[in-house]
Amino acid sequence: MSVVASRVRQGRILLQMAMRNLVASRVRTLVVGGIVALGVVIVVLGSSLLDSIDVGMTRSIQGSLGGHVQLYNAASRDPLALYGGTMGESVLEPIDDFARLKAAALTVPGVKLVVPMGIDQAMVSMGNVFDVALERLRADVRRRMEQGAPADAPDYEAHKAHLRRMATLLQQELRAAREIADETSGVYRDRKADFDALSTAVEGGFWETFDADPLGSLEFLENRVAPLSLDGGFTFIRYVGTDPEAFQKAFPGAQVVEGSPIPPGQRGALLGKLYAEEWLKLRAARRLDKIKEARDLNGRRIAKDEELQRWVKENTGQTRDILLQLDPVRTREAVRRLQAALGTKEEDPGKIVAALLDTNDDNFDARYRIFYAELAPLLQLYSVKVGDFITIKAPSRSGYVSSVNVPIHGFVEFRGLERSALAGMMSVLDIHSWRDLYGYMTPERAAEVRRLKERAGARTVAREDAEAALFGGGAEVPVEPVAVKPFDEAALLLAGGGRQSREDLFRRRYTQAETDTGVALNAAVILDDPRRIGETMPKLVEAAARAGMKVKAVTWLEASGIVGQSMGLLRMVLYLAVLIIFAVALVIINNAMVMATLQRVKEIGTMRAIGAQRRFVLVLVVVEVVTTGLVFGGLGAALGIAIVHAIGWTGGIAATNDTMYFLFSGPALIPRLGTASLVTSVAIVFLVSILSALYPAVLAMRVTPLEAMQSDE
Amino acid sequence: MPEPIVEAVDVAKVYQLGKTQVHALRHVDLVVERGEFLSIAGPSGSGKTTLLNLIGGVDVPSSGTVRVDGEDTSKLTERALTRLRLDHIGFIFQTFNLVAVLTVFQNVEFPLLLQGRMSSDDRRRRVNALLEAVGLADHARHRPSELSGGQRQRVAVARALVANPPLVLADEPTANLDSVTGGHIIDLMREMNRRDGTTFIFSTHDPKVMSHASAIVRLEDGRVVGRETAQGAEAR
Repeated sequence: MSVVASRVRQGRILLQMAMRNLVASRVRTLVVGGIVALGVVIVVLGSSLLDSIDVGMTRSIQGSLGGHVQLYNAASRDPLALYGGTMGESVLEPIDDFARLKAAALTVPGVKLVVPMGIDQAMVSMGNVFDVALERLRADVRRRMEQGAPADAPDYEAHKAHLRRMATLLQQELRAAREIADETSGVYRDRKADFDALSTAVEGGFWETFDADPLGSLEFLENRVAPLSLDGGFTFIRYVGTDPEAFQKAFPGAQVVEGSPIPPGQRGALLGKLYAEEWLKLRAARRLDKIKEARDLNGRRIAKDEELQRWVKENTGQTRDILLQLDPVRTREAVRRLQAALGTKEEDPGKIVAALLDTNDDNFDARYRIFYAELAPLLQLYSVKVGDFITIKAPSRSGYVSSVNVPIHGFVEFRGLERSALAGMMSVLDIHSWRDLYGYMTPERAAEVRRLKERAGARTVAREDAEAALFGGGAEVPVEPVAVKPFDEAALLLAGGGRQSREDLFRRRYTQAETDTGVALNAAVILDDPRRIGETMPKLVEAAARAGMKVKAVTWLEASGIVGQSMGLLRMVLYLAVLIIFAVALVIINNAMVMATLQRVKEIGTMRAIGAQRRFVLVLVVVEVVTTGLVFGGLGAALGIAIVHAIGWTGGIAATNDTMYFLFSGPALIPRLGTASLVTSVAIVFLVSILSALYPAVLAMRVTPLEAMQSDE
Repeated sequence: MPEPIVEAVDVAKVYQLGKTQVHALRHVDLVVERGEFLSIAGPSGSGKTTLLNLIGGVDVPSSGTVRVDGEDTSKLTERALTRLRLDHIGFIFQTFNLVAVLTVFQNVEFPLLLQGRMSSDDRRRRVNALLEAVGLADHARHRPSELSGGQRQRVAVARALVANPPLVLADEPTANLDSVTGGHIIDLMREMNRRDGTTFIFSTHDPKVMSHASAIVRLEDGRVVGRETAQGAEAR
């Protein structure tokens, strides 16, 4: 018993000696402790931030597109990337029969829902979208020239990839046109130069050297490529073709913010709200929004910011878009309202609108309110409204351009991702329209093709060619010069057993079986319990295999592509920072303790002479370092916790750009303290302390009792 | 007759200093009986400290044997040698060698803590008794830096005696003290020697200090050149 008490007392005296040694050399202790504390603050703060980003993104992505597990054809060349990769859409092999996959997946215990998906980009005829895209890229380039290139610039890369994709689609259109053109005509020769310019803009070489001469490259795109997009313009839309009813059930994060959901079983589209803001909104209004955001969120000021000044100048100079929308009655009303609001007697509509939009830092907020309260109700702010039809044109699987008309039922916003350029652009399309665009042939259509062939007397051609010729490209003609007798397609359709007219098509209600039966590119699987993702994935693959399908199962995170990578990158950066700081701490603590040991050789020797075993000396040094580590680590942790709470109290870290919005899954990041991060930091400090104490402890152990006998003189 | 506390037989100690060998001790034979108050005398470099190191078990001989309380030091492991020092030998150093960050009480208590045999009450009683004996009961909570040289050396004496060792070694215990204070320290050691029968072996080259010893062993060039009984010391 007395032995135990004595050990306790020995431990206490060790601790006391350690503490007193630490106090005795204050400067050294403060330097070492400061570094340890800093490291712990970074661990606590960093991992709290990352954990919160994790939680937010998990909720947003799982709830808006990712689900828990994604299945896709195992024969696919690319991995699935729900939000697109940096090099454009990934190429997936289709799942030929979604119904079969769904049935198989639902046999796996714990699977709640299986939602078909097909994600692609396509063109929609709109305003001149090329210019908008170029402007975005130009802004990126300017920012990079001013501030230097950031290591991680998903937006910049996405903007470049977008332009490249636009050029590709333009080129495809032009190529299709060339194939039916008369090679000897002057138009053909004129178009040759255009086509060559487009080819350049599509080639990898151009984009690889883009960063070397961004301004020259932009000039090329502006002068040679942009004019090729039609004057009326078109925009690019990214959409997920899906079963809208199942999609709504599976993804509560996808909210219809205007209009109504796509009625069950019917065709239609929900346009992405951010997409509508970026591409469909009246440009003057969009610019006002952007100036407001720049002022409110990023603290930029018109007086000091060239970009904002340019936007103001463009707004005052380009009032035509607004004036064209106003008929004479509305023009008078607009003038009357603006005169009252601005307190002016100006009669000229152009001048008074320009006056409204001539904003500066003092009047901006008032003018912004006036614009939306007085003028906007007289305008159509978006070029597409609920109830409109849009025409989506996309290259089908065979390479021909197919197109569908779909009614806009409303606008959709993905909660948490609403502001993200990467994810918030997504629109929702019914799967039947998507299948038409994708070029999938239903058995019913295949039968129709046979009938048409018989009636038209066509000879057998490859399946892809036939499909595209009949359904894909309207007036387009197959690549191979095949002798086809002219025929009246409409008459054939009517005679062939009653294909519906366009009106009928949009009124038609598809049964669940019809919706499920057919092609999809991937399937989102929702589980009852999200914690069982890992164990369910192989079961899903097995179930599909039993049904004769080879699929790959990936988690929502893997499927999120760039998103997952950026998350991983952030973690790597944090870990690297932590690693560096603790490596530095290790070296400094080690050095400090070696110095301390050398200074105390005589004292250690004395203790050894008196009868202290080597182990006692070892423990003495280790206790001293670990005490420093834990005391200052504790202070660092307390500071970290305080900072985390302080950030929370002040409303979190505001997202000042789209990438931050995406990472934060909202307008602000409120860090949450995780016990895991606290435990981790304590463990790291403990480990680093022990490691850095090892060498000095060995040195101390080597001190012999003889050292005590040396006199100072 | 009990066995001697220290028995050195034909002890030699050779140091390698660069390319030359330094013979610190040659053919030393020495027997110290229990209860002696023995002074080792000799000029600087005569081997006094080396001999004390060998007796104290902080060093082992190059040849010959040193027995302390019956244990042959060259046959002990490092651990056992440390244990021998802890349980059988007390040390008093020329430069006091107190642990700066510990209080007077804690410095004295230190060997008892290392031994880990006594209850804290027993320890407190023992430490306080010794501080009383060396006249520092009022300074128990002081740090060594708050004490004079003589006071520090008295703390060192208390520390050397606290575990009740049969043998105390003191290497030039008065060299860093003025002669009056040095005299007090020697008186204190002598008192403890008489009271408890503890054997003291101390080195010195100060004739006044030597005069307190019950016997003097003279060293020269690493050899024992004579052993005499100091009459003056006996007379006290």
